[in-house]
Amino acid sequence: MSLTERPPATSAPAKKLPVKQRYSLLTRDLDWEPSYVNRADLYPYTSYEGIVVHDWDGWEDPFRLTVDAYHKYQSEKDKRLYAVLDSFAQSQGHLTLSDASYLNSIKLFIQGVTPLEYAAHRHFAYLARYLEGPAPRFAALCQSIDELRHAQTQIHTISNYNKYYGGFHSWSKMHDRVWYLSVTKSLFDDAMSAGPFEFLVSISFSFEYLLTNLLFVPFMSGASFNGDMPTMSFGFSAQSDESRHMTLGLEAIKFLLEQDEANVPIIQGWIDKWFWRSYRMSALVAGMMDYMLPKPVMSWKEAFELYFEDQMLGGLFPDLAYYGITPPRHVQDAIAEKDKLSHEVYKILHNFSFAAAFTTSTPSDDHMAWLSAQYPDTFDRYYRPTWEKHRSVEAGGGRVFFQGLPQLCQVCQIPIAFTERDDPTRISFRHSEFRGETFHTCSDGCQWIFDREPEKYVQAWLPVHQIYQGNCGGPTVPDVLAWYGIQEGDNGEYAGSPDQQQWAEWHQPAKGGN
Amino acid sequence: MAVKALYDYDFPSADRIENFGDDQLVYVHWAGNPLFCSAAAFRAPRATPFGEFVAAMVQPWAASDPEFDPASIAGWQLFDEPLAADPQRSLAELGIGHKSLLTFRTA
Repeated sequence: MSLTERPPATSAPAKKLPVKQRYSLLTRDLDWEPSYVNRADLYPYTSYEGIVVHDWDGWEDPFRLTVDAYHKYQSEKDKRLYAVLDSFAQSQGHLTLSDASYLNSIKLFIQGVTPLEYAAHRHFAYLARYLEGPAPRFAALCQSIDELRHAQTQIHTISNYNKYYGGFHSWSKMHDRVWYLSVTKSLFDDAMSAGPFEFLVSISFSFEYLLTNLLFVPFMSGASFNGDMPTMSFGFSAQSDESRHMTLGLEAIKFLLEQDEANVPIIQGWIDKWFWRSYRMSALVAGMMDYMLPKPVMSWKEAFELYFEDQMLGGLFPDLAYYGITPPRHVQDAIAEKDKLSHEVYKILHNFSFAAAFTTSTPSDDHMAWLSAQYPDTFDRYYRPTWEKHRSVEAGGGRVFFQGLPQLCQVCQIPIAFTERDDPTRISFRHSEFRGETFHTCSDGCQWIFDREPEKYVQAWLPVHQIYQGNCGGPTVPDVLAWYGIQEGDNGEYAGSPDQQQWAEWHQPAKGGN
Repeated sequence: MAVKALYDYDFPSADRIENFGDDQLVYVHWAGNPLFCSAAAFRAPRATPFGEFVAAMVQPWAASDPEFDPASIAGWQLFDEPLAADPQRSLAELGIGHKSLLTFRTA
């Protein structure tokens, strides 16, 4: 046979299977009943949490996605994203950002959020092995791959800034060590050390469904408003995955609620816990949205009303009432503090940025005017006077930092800085006794969570206490910063920082002459 | 409610007093001063006299506020109760235990 000759066609091309059948063959049909191993040995983690599942096949797959279709789709998205990254890098796109200070929010993102994507990848891989039904296992597998891809694309997107700006170099190490990053790390550690069903309710439902729009969208809109094309493109690239994850979260919770009535109170308890855990973590986003964006998008309060109060409390929870699920415990506390949250959180960051891998600064006149318009009931009355005081100290060449270490909440690990519901001037201190020891929490929500499982939270790795036990590089601030991986200039005040000075230099009017 | 686990779930507290030798943690809150976002945490010897604790640890921290005047400290509380803060007596003698919360106000 010559090389140019085609082999004769022996049969008509195979017909393509309908999507539904194809999906079924490639996912559910790959499951089998164990014959020489006990089912309980094969799936050891699906009963101890008290959740009862009668029929794993009752799981409805919202997306009939197969591995080949998944890869085709994701690789197209990757191509588009990496084209944007290349062109932004080649055209020195970083110079067209609104301001170098914008990147503080992106430093917070790669240090605090990207490692969570990787943690989620790991734990969904575990669920892809240990959930009993083939359909939820496959859904977990897809999400595990998504999360890995998110971690990678975020690293590739954001690390481009490492060439020109501080704070982007050691985020992985920092995530394991630095005080404000223990807020996000400990939340995920809490979820990963729970059983598989609690993890689904914590991460898939409370985190990915209830609060994802509040956690994720503000960073992406912030990127869009401040000229950060790469981060915005990453956001678009991840958006369709995120909507799939949201649907998985909702499907998971409905499936569990439908399986047995005994599941309802267990799941309600997890919703109560994980709403508050995730909401408390989102406080960092609140501070970022209202204070760290040179061109703000919308206020935290507005985003909270839209994405949480309208969409979740107004849309989702009336549906869940059918199953006997009520809105999360302590949700009224969250609503009550929407006028205060971002101001209280940014105060923490501003007080302690000498020990952070980002910089902060006192809001400008324009920014304060914006804050005052967004928060007419609170800003001028409670927060402006303190910022004015900072301003006057700075006018004299000073800068107020907190010359010490803060008291941390045993549960959320944020400094205890939130105030009483009815009094924005009084910090809300709560404490519990357990086995003769005192444990402090920042709110009724965190105290309730502590009291529910004190044996778990007494183990918390609280950065301040670890420093005082001598486990963080040494007793002085420079010792601890070195151990954190924070380099000179990553931290402190934005005005006069290397980022600010270089930015000013790059944007000097072109010099004439020959 | 206990932690649900497949084994006997029993771990020591990460910040139990034994981990701090002769010292302990004490939190100090300057009530009514919003320049500080939160109370401060200190590690101090249990035997340290209260006056020395204030002079050596609390005052340098409070001086983060350039308007701080050490003479203006008007009264102390231990958790929610007033504290007769005799500067000669030690933290232990005053009942200020591990992870106690102290609050002061300024006149």
